[in-house]
Amino acid sequence: MTIFHGFNTTASALTAQRLRMDVISSNMANVDTTRGRFVNGEWEPYRRKMVVVQPNENRFSSHLSKAMGRTDHPGNGVKVSRIVGDQTPFKLVYQPDHPDANDEGYVQLPNVDPLKEMVDMMSATRSYEANVTTLNATKNMLMKALEIGKG
Amino acid sequence: MKIFSNTSQQLLEQSLNAASLRQKTISQNIANVDTPNYKAKKTVFKHQLNRAIDDQRLTAYRTDSRHIPFGGTQSISPSVVVDRTKTMFNHNGNNVDIEHEMSEMAKNQIYYNAMIERLNGRFNSLKTVIGGGK
Repeated sequence: MTIFHGFNTTASALTAQRLRMDVISSNMANVDTTRGRFVNGEWEPYRRKMVVVQPNENRFSSHLSKAMGRTDHPGNGVKVSRIVGDQTPFKLVYQPDHPDANDEGYVQLPNVDPLKEMVDMMSATRSYEANVTTLNATKNMLMKALEIGKG
Repeated sequence: MKIFSNTSQQLLEQSLNAASLRQKTISQNIANVDTPNYKAKKTVFKHQLNRAIDDQRLTAYRTDSRHIPFGGTQSISPSVVVDRTKTMFNHNGNNVDIEHEMSEMAKNQIYYNAMIERLNGRFNSLKTVIGGGK
């Protein structure tokens, strides 16, 4: 555990929240994309993506300290384990003049709900801000430690 | 009279280490504020600090390295990280309370700064003594 351990923890969270924000941007940008993926000779609309995060315990230092029975290891931050597609059904809208409409005149639209994305965006922003505050606090502590003995 | 290895100075050092570890724990909790099934961690050190003060009054010698050390020797790890389990869970099994974490962090900052001030105060006193009050 180095002196910059706290920084690394917070930095991993900032990266994860930034990636969440990127995924949300992608969802919002593709809210009307009817040709997201080409499956079996047919276009499938864009599928909403979600970020799955998990604590970053898969590091050697984590396992070592656990094996040694040490109780003073806080952990290594957070990591994005994968990005999954939302399996909720696509929206069906009656639009007979749309080039991707089926024989009955219905178009499949992405399962992106802008309201949900906005809520997720607020959550990611706030988490990011909280982590920036933490980073500044840790920085101030280290700067203060440099003043020991300067008197 | 020991100048650099007296009790209060060692306690200051230990509390600084513990405050630093607590900051890391809080960083970890805030980093995992959105992680499903994450259980918040907590650094406990105050009661162990008290125990360390109590231990100073007691002296004991170890005749075997396998004996549990008590008294005299400094405990190797004055602070431990435990999982906080008895708090409210969110719908995703995460129990990080962001308000609690942020206020704990503010408290920890003030505590850490106070310890640094105190340590600097001690060093200044020593400086005065060494300089003969000049």
